[in-house]
Amino acid sequence: MHNNTTSIKKTEPLIALIGQPNSGKTTLYNYLSGKKAKTVNYPGSTVQYSISRILSKHHVNANILDSPGIISLVPYSPDEEVSVNSLYSHPEFGNPDIVIVTVDTSQLSRHLFLVKQLIESNFNVIIVLTMNDILEKKGYEVSDLQLSNILGCCVVKFDGRNGKGLEQLLTKVKERIEVLNSKTEETAPVIQYITSRGRLLESFKNIEDIESKIIIDKRKGKNGTSDLSKKIENINENLSVLNNRRPYVKPDEFTIKLDKILLHKFWGLIIFFLIMAVTFSSIFWLTQPLMDIISTGFGWLSDFAGNTMGENLFSDLISKGIINGIGSVMVFLPQIVILFLIMELLEDSGYLARGAMLVDRPLSKIGLNGRSFVPMLSGFACAIPATMAARTIANKRERFLTIFILPLMTCSARIPVYALLIGFLTPKSKPWLGGIYFATIYIVTIIMSLIVGAVMNKFGAKLVTEKDNSSFILELPAYRKPKFIFSLKNTARNAKQYIKKAGPVILVLSLVIWFMTTFPNYDPDIKNVPKDSTGQVSSDKLSQYKDAERLSTSYAAYLGKFMEPVMKPMGFDWRIGVSLVATFAAREVFVSSLALIFKVTDEDESNLQNSLISAMRDAKVGNTDRKLFTTATTIGLIVFFMFAMQCLSTTAIARKETGSWRIPILQIVVFTLAAYILTVVVVNGLRAAGVE
Amino acid sequence: MSTAAEMKVGEMALITDINNDHPSSHRILEIGFTPGQTIELLYVPVFNDPLAFAIRGTIIAIRKNEASCIIIQLQ
Repeated sequence: MHNNTTSIKKTEPLIALIGQPNSGKTTLYNYLSGKKAKTVNYPGSTVQYSISRILSKHHVNANILDSPGIISLVPYSPDEEVSVNSLYSHPEFGNPDIVIVTVDTSQLSRHLFLVKQLIESNFNVIIVLTMNDILEKKGYEVSDLQLSNILGCCVVKFDGRNGKGLEQLLTKVKERIEVLNSKTEETAPVIQYITSRGRLLESFKNIEDIESKIIIDKRKGKNGTSDLSKKIENINENLSVLNNRRPYVKPDEFTIKLDKILLHKFWGLIIFFLIMAVTFSSIFWLTQPLMDIISTGFGWLSDFAGNTMGENLFSDLISKGIINGIGSVMVFLPQIVILFLIMELLEDSGYLARGAMLVDRPLSKIGLNGRSFVPMLSGFACAIPATMAARTIANKRERFLTIFILPLMTCSARIPVYALLIGFLTPKSKPWLGGIYFATIYIVTIIMSLIVGAVMNKFGAKLVTEKDNSSFILELPAYRKPKFIFSLKNTARNAKQYIKKAGPVILVLSLVIWFMTTFPNYDPDIKNVPKDSTGQVSSDKLSQYKDAERLSTSYAAYLGKFMEPVMKPMGFDWRIGVSLVATFAAREVFVSSLALIFKVTDEDESNLQNSLISAMRDAKVGNTDRKLFTTATTIGLIVFFMFAMQCLSTTAIARKETGSWRIPILQIVVFTLAAYILTVVVVNGLRAAGVE
Repeated sequence: MSTAAEMKVGEMALITDINNDHPSSHRILEIGFTPGQTIELLYVPVFNDPLAFAIRGTIIAIRKNEASCIIIQLQ
């Protein structure tokens, strides 16, 4: 990752963007950051923040650092720790020169709490007031001037919906930078913040005093909260026992009304399941045509390259090794993009937090947490970002258990595999069956992952030895209309990151498989090719025989035949075996390696997948007439892919996030054994039941 | 002495104290559940846990277990 950050000059001022969760921080970051924003978070780096130069059109030479939202400077969960550490000791940039902190004015006292801690720690703070519209709907307004006077720092109002206030913020930033540059004497050193119950209560008291001075009742033109508090005190006068009773501030009216339905005991659950159903089915229905286009496109490209360059080693390498390899990377891009986009929209609208709340109770029964919901959902795109998303779970045991079951989620890498196998199982006359098969796989996966979680929770007492407090504290933010363009921007960022990281691995593996299936006998000597009716040996027939001979004497064949005894109980032969071995580095390699092994070229079929399916239908076991791919073995393969731990990147990230090899090794052993045993049981069970 | 865990939907209460012995008490204070604040129990989902409270202008969901460290006086 280091070469990625070279464009970020260390001599330029560093601005840290800090804020409570749901304070509009990410929206502001999207306005400020340029196209070259980098999420420094994939395997190989220990940090997770996004860093960018401020957009050049703003004419500010500075870098801006975005990190997860925090509630206070005393971290509670690993993701908060990342943010707090980035403030005190960024490994590359040191302390930030300026801290921009976003404050939601509709819940001023909660958010000023963090601001106070930052100021008391001697950070150079600029306050950005967001969500002013929500407060205005209630008839109040915050005096930014007063707040600035009281706290002694810059205050800017900002509207996330249209970017109003951005210019003013940038002017303030420029001013601050100039002050920094002209300063010769030492600035006050940043001090680590310590809280105690007493200091905390004192701080809130102080903030409430500030609040009553800066909130203006627009309708009356005087201080609103004191007026509001009077109203409440009048109602409850005889009940008032405390001198420090504070006024009750009602949350956003629209949100309360909408939650009456979305968090309704009955309808809330129905809507939750509907939203999940739409999300998962859109993964299938929306991505399938896109994947077909990509698959067809690369199949055509591979053909074209093969035909133009003739029959030689180089042409073979380009068309079958490289082009098919790249194709197998690109084919699951649609799913990543669509799932991330839906999640982004659900999160920005405020619904995702409600979803987490709804599932907290059932998940906590099996040792997980409501906060496991988001990681599990993103696990359906890719287990790598999902494993990192588990950082928001404060309880170590729950976090580890969440990470443990994440590889079971139907990640995008499995989609091309399932698409192929389901394509094989689905009769041409009943294409709608494919969707049902897909849905069944998803439902079975979710049920199995919950069962595995429950079993691990029950018997895996050694998963984490210490027992810390299990908690669920989550803000349900006011519903907002998501800004689609920003959701797209974040999705594109995620997808790019994904391609960059997963792409090379898959490409290299495809090349390795191509090499292993092509050598050492690249140009086999073929003697007894049957002559056709004219007494000639057709070149088509010859190359077909050459292909078969080359493969059956290749390194891959030796390897495959070596492990055939292991594959046999599952009903697989060495060809599937070789493909399966390759998938332990990355699942998506399965399709391209099958295509290579069966020497598929899409001569008569419309795309690669269809021609692979017809090659699969023709494949026989050894020299017999028995079919290799039957309903039983194909379902067996699906079962194998549902469980087997076949992703090196996930193993690496699980090692990193849990700090030991225990979880990743347990994952490999448990999931792979489960995959093997279940596949043997399913295949032989089906056969015993008369399904071939 | 009652706690926020015993509140019913729609009830409002004044926080009088936070039980220091609860492991989540510090975080509960940090997110704004401090003595003197008025809270309202807005929603209870189908599984009866967690509870969604209105506090300081926003809605925060906490588990019943955590709500039990919030000492209240019903309004």
